[in-house]
Amino acid sequence: MKHLAITAVIAGMLAWSAGAQTPAPASTPSAPPAPRTADGHPDLSGVWWQGQDIGGRPAGGAAAGRGGAGRGGGRGAAPRTFSSLYQPSAQAKAKTLSDKDDPSLDCTPTAFGTLNVSLFDVGAVGQIVQTPKFVIMLTETYNGFQIIPIDGRPHRDSVPPSNRGDAVGRWDGDTLVVDKNNFTDTSWISAEGRVSFHSDALHVVERYHRVDANTLEIDATLDDPKVLTGPWIVPKQTLRLAPFDQIMELACSAGDVKALIEGAAAQPSSGKN
Amino acid sequence: MKRTAFAVLLSSLVALAPAWAHHSFAAAYDTTQSITVHGTISQVLLRNPHSWFMLDVKNDSGQVEHWAFEAGTPSGMIRNGYKPNVIKSGAEVTIKGFRARDASQKRGMLRELTTSDGQVFGLFGPQETK
Repeated sequence: MKHLAITAVIAGMLAWSAGAQTPAPASTPSAPPAPRTADGHPDLSGVWWQGQDIGGRPAGGAAAGRGGAGRGGGRGAAPRTFSSLYQPSAQAKAKTLSDKDDPSLDCTPTAFGTLNVSLFDVGAVGQIVQTPKFVIMLTETYNGFQIIPIDGRPHRDSVPPSNRGDAVGRWDGDTLVVDKNNFTDTSWISAEGRVSFHSDALHVVERYHRVDANTLEIDATLDDPKVLTGPWIVPKQTLRLAPFDQIMELACSAGDVKALIEGAAAQPSSGKN
Repeated sequence: MKRTAFAVLLSSLVALAPAWAHHSFAAAYDTTQSITVHGTISQVLLRNPHSWFMLDVKNDSGQVEHWAFEAGTPSGMIRNGYKPNVIKSGAEVTIKGFRARDASQKRGMLRELTTSDGQVFGLFGPQETK
């Protein structure tokens, strides 16, 4: 006998969505100051997240809260969304795309990140390892990484375009400024969780500021003159130091996600975005 | 009597769920097609990139159907408190989820798994007991 029942929605998913909109305090009360390396710069090393994993409960209780998106754009001003900056041709292209076209279905990393944090890519956790010469960003999803030289060297001109781009860093006071270019045009931005693509002209500038021992703030600007009408100012992201010091492996291959790919193929072809 | 229950979820609230992180489940699963099954766990695959709960479900005709429900990443589940082998083969469970867009498949996205002793697990592991 078949039953017809109305069930509740995915409360956890909605809670996550709502939580992502909650501005976090800039620093943790009574937190120790940001540690520094021998050369005097802030040490960004650590495992960072937004206070909990996807679908999880806040570590350390509700008081730990969750980081996440600041409002950005100043008091009363709604921040622009990535897709609101599309040029007309990009708007037309976006209408032809939907979730089934998401390159991450076959394990392609994004050019930025689904939670507007490049350190996370399509996950919710990342680890930073800082040395005198490099800042190394380790992303749990797809075993991703980005090696950022901080010794003053320029971008490489001898490497092919990549999904995550070529990165170089420099210190601006206590803020690490990371400049990324040389992207492929085949991955998605996944900004704001939406279908969002970019061109090979994508240019990303990120500013990392460790406010205190437990708090990392990230400001980012994305520009793409082939796709956008102007720079996209990403709402400030406030990350928390995770209560563990090692990320796990989250490997992915197209074979592993066969079910998702088959399911996507069964989806109607009309764009939804 | 074990039953398979199919439910249609028309709530527009589902549309508010973000295309959160990782693979887009929305591409593969129809969040307007809710489903509830009751059966016996045949296998739990805590593996990358997503975990799976397999179970045998007796349909209204008494035949055993083999269902598979996709869950979250092992890393996320473990950090949320899920312990490997906490749900073993043979465990009697009820799973609520969303059905695959390909309705010919006995497959779904796990939304809630409840064990016979009342433990509740979500897409990414343990949930508060209701």
